[in-house]
Amino acid sequence: MKMALNRRLSFFLVLLFIVGFGFSLLPQKTQAQEKSLVLIVGTVIDRQEVPVEGAQVELLGGNTGELLSEALTQANGRFALRVPDIIPDQLSVRIHRAHFQDDMFQMSERDVEHLRAGETISLANITLPRVINQAFWLATAIFVGVLIFIGTGRMHNTLAALAGASLILIISYLSYPLNQNWYIFDFPISLTYIDWNVIFLIMGMMIFIAVVENTGIFQWLAFMAFRVSGGRLLLLMLILMIIAGVASAFLDNVTTMLLMAPITIQIALSLGINPLVLLIPEVLASNVVGISTLIGTPTNILIGSYAHLSFTDFLVNLTPGVMLAFIGLVLYSFLIFRKDLAASPNLSPLLEKKLAESGKITDPVNLKKAGWVGLGMLLLFIFGENLNMPPSVTALVGATALLVWIRPNVEEMIEAVDWTTLVFFMSLFIVVGAIQEVGLISLIAEGISWLVGDSLVLAMMIIIWFSAILSTVVANIPFTAAMLPVIGYLTLTIPGAESNVLFYCLSVGAAMGGNGSLIGASANMVTSGIAERAGYPITYAYFLRKGFPALLITVGLATIWLLIRFL
Amino acid sequence: MSGVVCAIRGGPASQPTIEKAISLAKEYLLPLYFLYVVNLDFLERTASSRVHLISKEMHQMGDFILLSAQEKAQKEGVVSEGIVRDGNVSEEIVGLCRELKADYVVLGRPKGEDDEANVFTNERLWILANLVEGASGAKAVFTNGE
Repeated sequence: MKMALNRRLSFFLVLLFIVGFGFSLLPQKTQAQEKSLVLIVGTVIDRQEVPVEGAQVELLGGNTGELLSEALTQANGRFALRVPDIIPDQLSVRIHRAHFQDDMFQMSERDVEHLRAGETISLANITLPRVINQAFWLATAIFVGVLIFIGTGRMHNTLAALAGASLILIISYLSYPLNQNWYIFDFPISLTYIDWNVIFLIMGMMIFIAVVENTGIFQWLAFMAFRVSGGRLLLLMLILMIIAGVASAFLDNVTTMLLMAPITIQIALSLGINPLVLLIPEVLASNVVGISTLIGTPTNILIGSYAHLSFTDFLVNLTPGVMLAFIGLVLYSFLIFRKDLAASPNLSPLLEKKLAESGKITDPVNLKKAGWVGLGMLLLFIFGENLNMPPSVTALVGATALLVWIRPNVEEMIEAVDWTTLVFFMSLFIVVGAIQEVGLISLIAEGISWLVGDSLVLAMMIIIWFSAILSTVVANIPFTAAMLPVIGYLTLTIPGAESNVLFYCLSVGAAMGGNGSLIGASANMVTSGIAERAGYPITYAYFLRKGFPALLITVGLATIWLLIRFL
Repeated sequence: MSGVVCAIRGGPASQPTIEKAISLAKEYLLPLYFLYVVNLDFLERTASSRVHLISKEMHQMGDFILLSAQEKAQKEGVVSEGIVRDGNVSEEIVGLCRELKADYVVLGRPKGEDDEANVFTNERLWILANLVEGASGAKAVFTNGE
């Protein structure tokens, strides 16, 4: 009985201890918190009404301008200044942000009275005008320099972007001792401009592609096209264009052409025809159909991530237009190569036998596994948006699942990831972030906005055709990355553009524009290199003659679709 | 060993070179070796990390191009062999001529192409010919493309 009582007492004491300890963990009101918090809140925006992040807002008091409180603006431009208990008669607010003019204003006596009465004051939006200083010109010159080095091929893309990013950072840090007008941004701010969704999406897809590309599926498909066509060149061209197009919608165009071009050349040689008759339509199709999905081109990945466009958004809003453009491209290809296609093929049995050896699936087991994982990824890309799952997670999960399932040599797989491309993107984001930071993007956005006014049609036309023509000579990835904030601004300001139509216009222009010249797309360069190695060089003039009309036709048809879809 | 070495890259521009090599092999009753060199320098700026992937494909394409030349030689009653190598075109030609102790090396320069882009400009062709002759003793024979 006594033991039972002791046990109950012990249990009661333990319970009391736990409850007491639990209460001690609950937040206690401090004396300061018991008093109501008095704040001055507001929003800092630029002249285009875009929120300004990272502006330093200070509350100064008295004649001496003593610092009473300070805060940084958030991504939405909002800030909240805490007002001290003892409020002086004179209060002023000062706002400072690099690349903007400083602003300072005194608070009215009435506001001070309200604050003393314990009321929070909400200020009207504070607009900071931009400052064009030496940093502006430095960042602009570096960005243009990077574009020139990439465009002329004087430097590897990655090296050019990396050099640009390094230069921006070193100038910014040297600005402290040398000249503060050189300051662009510091390293932590530069990192905020890197879109990690893009980096991880590209990385995940690279791992997936590394498995698929070694299975021989492309070579087999091309060989089957050869078989099915039965020597009918017109049909062969159509099937090869479809294969290249569909493959490019899910893989990057360069990989597609690297795998398709050698086998296509072999098919053409077996038939005794000029390989360019098949190669040119193939690469044109790759550039056009590649944009039908979110993951088809790096430009779409950039656009999708920036504008939060899902896989389904691209399928619904862009794919029908791409199909229309593809039909136009097929008809155009038939027209320009009609003489070659009308010729009777001169089939060589010896070469056909060799071709059959090349067109084999080399790893059916991994192909099957990759097929299942690919299907799962496709479903996740489509339905993952319901779970707010970004595409990068789908790509990463799919790539990991495939690696776990097939258990390849991990080192080989990691080597298959094109790290130079990832470094290129990271560096490029920093370079583009720099011109955004100093206000160049705002200036361009203002210029376009002034040009188009409230006309959505005019904005669509300018973006599509300007991007398309420029993409024939300028690398489309840096161009797209730089245009994204511009399009973002126009989307907010032009009536009707909230449907994100201008982002689709950018996608069409930047990618289909690559068909306009040999240097317009990496896939063109790769195809040209392979063809040249087989004794069929593609000159700049030759590609221009075949590719530029294709640009006009495909971009024109895609424009018609976008006008129908969004107006 | 001895024979005729003929480096080709395919296409119509290589046909006169192939024909010349076949006729030489036939005339002197020498074995004929067609050489295709896989050179992936063009990927440097666009897809340098894809070299491992494309290398296999380019080897297959090289085999195919050589087979096409071999088929032509066979029709002329000349037995030939196809060899695919990786690396610099000039170095591989010199290397193969040395290995085979070749009697002749047939060099062709496609006409009408941009000299900058062409490995075998007249000047370079002469340098290569001197190099091959000096290093291997093979006599250089020139042809012009179409």
